[in-house]
Amino acid sequence: MLDLLVIGAGLTGLFAAYAAARAGLRVRVIAKGMGATHWHAGTIDLLGYLPGEQKPVADWVEAVPELPAAHPYRNLGVDAIRTAMVEFQRLVAGAGLPYESAAAGPWFAGVAGGSGEQDGRNSMLISPVGAPRPVYLAPAAQQPANLADTRPMVIVGLTGMPDFYPTLIAENLCRQGHRARGATVPLDKLTARRDNSPLQLARLFDEPAAQARLAEMVADVAAGERVGLPAVLGLHRHARTCAHLQEATGARAFFEIPTLPPSVPGLRLDTALRESLAGQGVRVETGMEACGFGTDGRRIEWVESETGSRPLRHSARNFLLATGGILGGGIHGDRCGRVREVVFDLPLTAPQARSQWLRPLFLDSRGHPVFQCGVAVDARCQPLDESGAPVYDNLWAAGAVLAHTDPIRERSREGIAIATGYAAAAAVARDVSPPPAADN
Amino acid sequence: MHTVSLHSAGMSLDACIKCNICTSYCPVSQVTERFPGPKYAAPQSERFREIGQPRSPDASVDYCSGCRVCNEVCPTGVRIAEINARARAQMVAEQGLSLRNRLLGRNELLGKAGSLAPRLANFLLHNRLARRLAAALFGVAEQAPLPRWHTEKFTRWLARTDMHRLRSDRKVVYFHGCATQHYEPFVGMATVLVLEHLGYEVIVPRQNCCGLPLLSNGEFGAAERYHRRNVERLTTYIEVGYPILGSSTSCTLTLKEEAPELLDLEGDAGVRALKLATWDIFEWLRERQEQGDLPTDLHRLNDEGKPFTLPYHAPCQLRAHRIGKPALDILAQIPELELRESHARCCGIAGTYGYKVEKYQIAMDVGAELFGFVAAQYAGLEASSSFACTACDSETCRWQLEHGTGLPSRHPIEILAAAYGLYDLQARRPRGGN
Amino acid sequence: MRRLEAEILVIGGGATGTGVAWDAALRGFRTVLVERRDLTHGTTGRYHGLLHSGARYVLKDPDSAVECSGENSILRRTHTHCIEDTGGFFVVTPEDEKDYPDRFAAACLRHGIPCEELSAAAALRREPLLNPGISRVFEVPDAAADSFLATHATAQAASQAGAQLLPYHELVGLQISGAEGSRAVTGATVVDAVSGEEVRIDADLVINAAGAWAGRVAALADIEVRMILGRGVMLATNTRLTNTVINRCKMPGDGDILVPIHTVSVIGTTDEQVNQPEDLRVEAWEVDLMLAEGDKLVPGLSRSRILRAWAGVRPLYQDNFSGESRDATRSTALLDHAKRDGIGGFLTITGGKWTTFRRMAESAVDAACAQLGVSRPCRTADTFVPGVEQGHYWLGHRLEEIEENRLQAELVCECELVTRSMLENAVRRNPTVTLDDLRRDVRLGMGPCQGGFCTYRAVGILHQMRAAGETGPQEPAAPPGAAEWEVDSLQSPARSENVAPARASAGPVQVPPGEAPQVSAAIDPQAAVSQPNLLLRDFLQERWKGVAPILWGQQLRQERLDELIYLSILNADHLPGQEEESPMSGFYRLNSED
Repeated sequence: MLDLLVIGAGLTGLFAAYAAARAGLRVRVIAKGMGATHWHAGTIDLLGYLPGEQKPVADWVEAVPELPAAHPYRNLGVDAIRTAMVEFQRLVAGAGLPYESAAAGPWFAGVAGGSGEQDGRNSMLISPVGAPRPVYLAPAAQQPANLADTRPMVIVGLTGMPDFYPTLIAENLCRQGHRARGATVPLDKLTARRDNSPLQLARLFDEPAAQARLAEMVADVAAGERVGLPAVLGLHRHARTCAHLQEATGARAFFEIPTLPPSVPGLRLDTALRESLAGQGVRVETGMEACGFGTDGRRIEWVESETGSRPLRHSARNFLLATGGILGGGIHGDRCGRVREVVFDLPLTAPQARSQWLRPLFLDSRGHPVFQCGVAVDARCQPLDESGAPVYDNLWAAGAVLAHTDPIRERSREGIAIATGYAAAAAVARDVSPPPAADN
Repeated sequence: MHTVSLHSAGMSLDACIKCNICTSYCPVSQVTERFPGPKYAAPQSERFREIGQPRSPDASVDYCSGCRVCNEVCPTGVRIAEINARARAQMVAEQGLSLRNRLLGRNELLGKAGSLAPRLANFLLHNRLARRLAAALFGVAEQAPLPRWHTEKFTRWLARTDMHRLRSDRKVVYFHGCATQHYEPFVGMATVLVLEHLGYEVIVPRQNCCGLPLLSNGEFGAAERYHRRNVERLTTYIEVGYPILGSSTSCTLTLKEEAPELLDLEGDAGVRALKLATWDIFEWLRERQEQGDLPTDLHRLNDEGKPFTLPYHAPCQLRAHRIGKPALDILAQIPELELRESHARCCGIAGTYGYKVEKYQIAMDVGAELFGFVAAQYAGLEASSSFACTACDSETCRWQLEHGTGLPSRHPIEILAAAYGLYDLQARRPRGGN
Repeated sequence: MRRLEAEILVIGGGATGTGVAWDAALRGFRTVLVERRDLTHGTTGRYHGLLHSGARYVLKDPDSAVECSGENSILRRTHTHCIEDTGGFFVVTPEDEKDYPDRFAAACLRHGIPCEELSAAAALRREPLLNPGISRVFEVPDAAADSFLATHATAQAASQAGAQLLPYHELVGLQISGAEGSRAVTGATVVDAVSGEEVRIDADLVINAAGAWAGRVAALADIEVRMILGRGVMLATNTRLTNTVINRCKMPGDGDILVPIHTVSVIGTTDEQVNQPEDLRVEAWEVDLMLAEGDKLVPGLSRSRILRAWAGVRPLYQDNFSGESRDATRSTALLDHAKRDGIGGFLTITGGKWTTFRRMAESAVDAACAQLGVSRPCRTADTFVPGVEQGHYWLGHRLEEIEENRLQAELVCECELVTRSMLENAVRRNPTVTLDDLRRDVRLGMGPCQGGFCTYRAVGILHQMRAAGETGPQEPAAPPGAAEWEVDSLQSPARSENVAPARASAGPVQVPPGEAPQVSAAIDPQAAVSQPNLLLRDFLQERWKGVAPILWGQQLRQERLDELIYLSILNADHLPGQEEESPMSGFYRLNSED
C-alpha cells in the first residue's frame, strides 16, 4: 500500500513526491501529461510583485507579511518557505543542477551591490524582451544575468532562431539605463535549418563540435562585455557547453536568457527532478488522468484514472492534489461560469459569474479574478470546506491549485510550488509516522 | 473517409494550447528532419486539412511512427497520433497504397503463407539475396529484424496438447495475435501455462489480425472489416462474461481503443463490448494480484550466486493503454530478480515503421536511447549473468531490441511462466509434462 | 500642412470605398482615398466572409438577392484568388417552417439563382457534422471570401490605376464653398494619425463611403444621414466544422449562417440596432444565442472550442425607416446630396453587402460622372485585380507551400502558418502601423493561441527590420501611403519567399540598394508607433478584447498560458513606455475602471 499518491507531475508534485520519499514514505506520482515546469523559465520566482503593485519586491522575507492574510505564504510562514527552499536547493545540487540566489552567487561577490548573503533578496534577471524579471533562485547559467551588475553586456542571438531578438532586448535594457548591445552569430555552419526551436538548438549544443564552435563565435563578437545568450546551451550536456563558453569568454560572465516554451531550463529542471525521484525508487506514471475517487467516510480510499477501457484504481493512505490551476488543468472553467476542481470537486473560492472573471485590460496589474480561484487549505495544506474543516482526513493540496494567489501575476509560481509542496509532504510524513512522543 | 469526427480524435485537437511539450518528447522528430514534429503535424496541420481537399497538403505526416509518446506527454489530452493516422488514411484514400505497405499491413496473410511451409519460407526470406531483392523491389529494409516462422503454429500446439489442457469453470478467452500464432508460439504457450496455473481454462476462439498494421498504413476500410469480424467472433464469449486477454499489447490496445476510435465505431454496441472486455495480460494478472488470487510460488530464475539483471522496456503501445507498468508490479515479486526499468521513449520500430527502407535508420536512431540503456545495465555483467536478456510486452519491439542490442528478448509472461517453473526461458519451451 | 489635389476624394477604406477608388481610377479620375485606420478596419474586416449567391435574400429582399447573384459571378472572375469556392447549402432543420423551402426554391428559379436540391444523405456524406435531422438540402453557389485580401487586392488595383490610398488619415473636416444655393463640397482636411500632420485635399467631388461612419462624415457638411446601424456578432471555431457554407433554409434570422473561412468556421450573426458605429460590444446573450443556433446546424458546435467573438456594424440606410434593423433593406443606398440637400460635389454610398461592393462603387462613380458632366464607362466588371492567376484559394495551400521548404520556413505564427518572409513582405509591400494591420494582411495571431507565441516574434522581427533601416542610408521618413500596394503574394508562403529581398545569413534584413524606400510607419524610426513595446502591448490588448467574451474551457487555459508567456517569462507589463499613447490605445481606455 502506498503512503502517498501524488496527482500531478509539475514542480509541485515532483518536489513533494521527492520530499515525501526522502522522509521514508512509499510514494507514486500519476499525471495526465508532462507538467508546467516545461513552460516556464527554469528560475525559482518566489514573489516578484505584491498584488496590484508595479514595483518589484526586493526581499520576499520582508514582503510576505504584506500579502493578504489568506495567501498560501502567510498560511505557511516565512520559516517554512525558507526550509522548503533549502531542501529544493539540496535536491537540485544533488542532481548536478545547482540553484542559488542570483544575489549571492560566488561570481557576484566582488560586484558592487552583491551582498554575498542569500536570505530573501530577489534579483532582477533579464527577460527575452529586455524587461527585468524578479527572481529568487536561478540555475548557475542564469545567475549572472543579474541587472545589479553594471558592466556592459552584449546580447547574442543566433540566426535561424525565431524565438530570440537580441537588438530588441538590448534596446529595452538601454532604455532602462543599462549598457547593452545586440549581436547575432550565424549558425549556418552548424545547421542548415532556419527554423530552429530552442529545444532543437539545445540538442545541437549537446554536441561537442557545436559547443566549441559556439564558444569561438561568441568570443569573436564579445568585446570585453558580459555575454547574454538564449537559454539553449545544451540539454543533457549543458554543463560542458557552459565550460566551453567560460573558457572562451574568460573572466567575463556569460548568461542564459529564458525563451518561449519549450523552455530548455525548464526541461533541465524537470529532468533533474525525475532522475532524483527514480533514484528514490518513486515511479512517475504519465498519461494517467485522474477521473474518479472513492471514499470511506471522511477518508479517500482510492483514485481512479482513465484508461483505454476500464478505470484504473490507485489505492493509497494519503493523496496529494498537485494538478495545478487553470493552466495546469486542475481547475476547469466552463461556459456557464462554473469553476470546478477536476478530481475531487473540492469547494473553490471563485467568482460566481463569468461576467466577473476578467478585467477589460489584459495587462491589468491586479490580474483577472478567475485566475485567483482555487482550493482553500489549512496550515497543513489540507483542503477545507465552507465551514473551515478539512474536507477529507487524508487529502492534501499544493501548488497552483491553491486559492488566494495568482502565481503568474505575483511571479510566485515556483515559490508556491516548492513551499506548499514541501509543506504538504512534511505534513503527510508527520501523519504517517508521527514523531515519537517525548518521554518525560 | 474517417477523418472528421466531433466526438473523437478529430476534435481532440481543440484541447491543444500549443505548448510544445509533445514536440519536446517526440523521438522521431528528434532524429530526423523529415518529420516536422507532433504539434506541427497534428493539431496545427489538421486545421489545414479538409474532407474533399484537392490533395493532401503535407506528405511529411507519413513520417510519424505512431508511437504515441506525444499522446502520453500531452497535458491537455490531444490524440495526436490518431490525428496523424487519420491524415495518413486520407492520403491513402487519395493516392492509393504502395504494394509494400499493402503487404506490411497484411502480416496475418504473410504469417499464414509462411506457416504453410515455414522452413522453406525462412530459407527464402532470410538470406542476403532475398533481403536485397525485397529492399530493391518492395522497399523493405534489408537489415530490419524480420521474424522467423516457427515450425509449429500456436493453435497447432494447442490442438496437439489438447488432452493436457486444463478444464475449469473459470474461463478466459485468449487473443493471441498474429505474431504468437506464426512466429512466437512460445509466448502463447507461456500465457496458457500461467493462466492454467492460476486455475483458468483458456479458450482460444478463431480470430484474425486485430487490424493495427492496416490502421498504421492508412488502410481503414480493410481494418474495419477485420475488426468487425473479430467482434463477431468474440461476442458470444463477451456476452457470458469471459474476459478477453491478450499477450500482444498492441493487439489489445487496438481492440480496446485504436480501432473503435480511428474507425469511428465507438457507438457500435459490439465494438464497445469488446473494448470493455479486453485486457492486457498483465493488466489482468495485476487485478488477480490485488484480489490476492495470484499464486505466490515464484522461484528465483538465477543460478546460485549469479545475479539475474533484467532490463524491462514498457513499449509505447503498452504505455498507450494508460494502465501503468503492470508487468513491473508482478515481476517485482520474483525473488532475486534485478529488474531495471527503462525510461527510454521508444525502441523505434513502431510496428511496421522500421521495416520500411526510408525509415529503417530513423527507427534505429530512435532506438539508440533504449539500446544504450540496456548496454548500461549489462556493462561488465555479461559474463557473470545467469542469463542475459531483455523483457518487453510487444513482439516487434522485442525483435527490434534483439536487433539493436544483440541480446535475446522475452515477453514478461515468459519470465513469469519461468518463475512458476512452467517454462524454460532460454529454450523458450514448456517444462515437464506441459 | 501637406496639400493634395484630386478629382475624386473617397472617404473610407472598406470594401466600398476601395472599390470606388478602383473604379474611379480606372475611369481616369485622379483619385485619393483616405481611411482613418487600416483598410478594412471597419465593417469590412468584421464580416463573416460569405460571398452571397443571393439565395439568402431571395424571398425577403429579391432586389438585393438579384444584385448579389450577379456580383457573385463577377467577383469570382475579378477577385478569384480572394475567394474559396466552397459552395453553399440551405438546410431545413426540424425547427424550420415546412413551406419555406418550396417557396425558396421557386423564388431562386424565378430570379435566376442556381439552386439544386440534393438528398439529405448526400449532403451528410459531404458534411458529416451537419445535423442528421435535416430533411431537405439545396445547393447554391455561395462561397467564402477573404475580405481583407480582397480589399487589399482592390487597393492594389486602384493604386496601379493611379489612385493614391492614404490609410491612417482621419477625416476632420469637409471644405464647403459657394454661396447659399450653390454650395458644394470642394475638399477635406485629414490628419495623419501617425505623424499628427494635417493634410488638405482639394477635390472636385467627395464620395462618402465611410460605411457605418457615413452619418458622421455627412454631418461634417451639415447634412443629416440617419444610418441604421445593425450590430452583428460572430464567433469563430477552432477548426472548420464544415467545408461548405451552411445556411438555414428559412427567413433570415440570428445565427443561421456557418461560413468556413480559412482555418475556422464562423457562426453568425445577430442584428442589434446600435447608436454608435464604435459600439462593438459582444454581449453574453449574443454568444449564447450563436452557440444555441449553431448547434442546430452542427450539433456539438457549442462544445467545440471557440477562438474569438467579435461584432461588426452594418451600415444600412432606408429613407424614413422605422423598425428593427433586421428588417431594413440590404440594398444599396446612393445619396446625391446636390439633389437631396442642395450641396453639390458630395455623394454618399452606403447600405448593400460586401458581395455587392463593386456594384455599389459602380453606381457611385456613375453618379459622380453625371455630376462632373463626363461620360466614362465602368470597367471594374471586366478588370482583374492582381493575383487572380493564382485561382481560387484552398484551405491547404499554406501547409502545402511550406511543406516544400519546411526547414527554412521560420514560422512566426504557427497556428496560421505565417512565415517570417510573409511578415516581412507584408511590412514592405503595404502600409503597416500596428501588428493588427499585419493580422489583416497575413492572418497573424488569428489561430488558437491568439497571439500567444507570434506577438513576441512579430515585434522582434519588426524591430530587426527597423534596426536594419537605421544602419542603411538615411531616407526621409515616408508617409504610410508610400509603401507600394503589392499584396498579391501576401497570403502565400512560397511567393513571399520569392519576392522578399535576399537576406544576409548573418544578420537582420538588409534593404536592397537601389530599391525605392518602402518603409512602413511601423519600421519608421521616427514614428511613435515604431516602439516595439507599444506594438506588443496593443496587439495583446487587441487579441484580449476578442477572446474575453468567449473565455472558458480550453481557450481560458490557453489565455493563461499566454499570460505565463507575457507576464512570467517576458515580464511585458514592466517594459519601458507602458503608459504611452499609440494609434491603437484610443480604442481602449488605459485607465479602465471596472
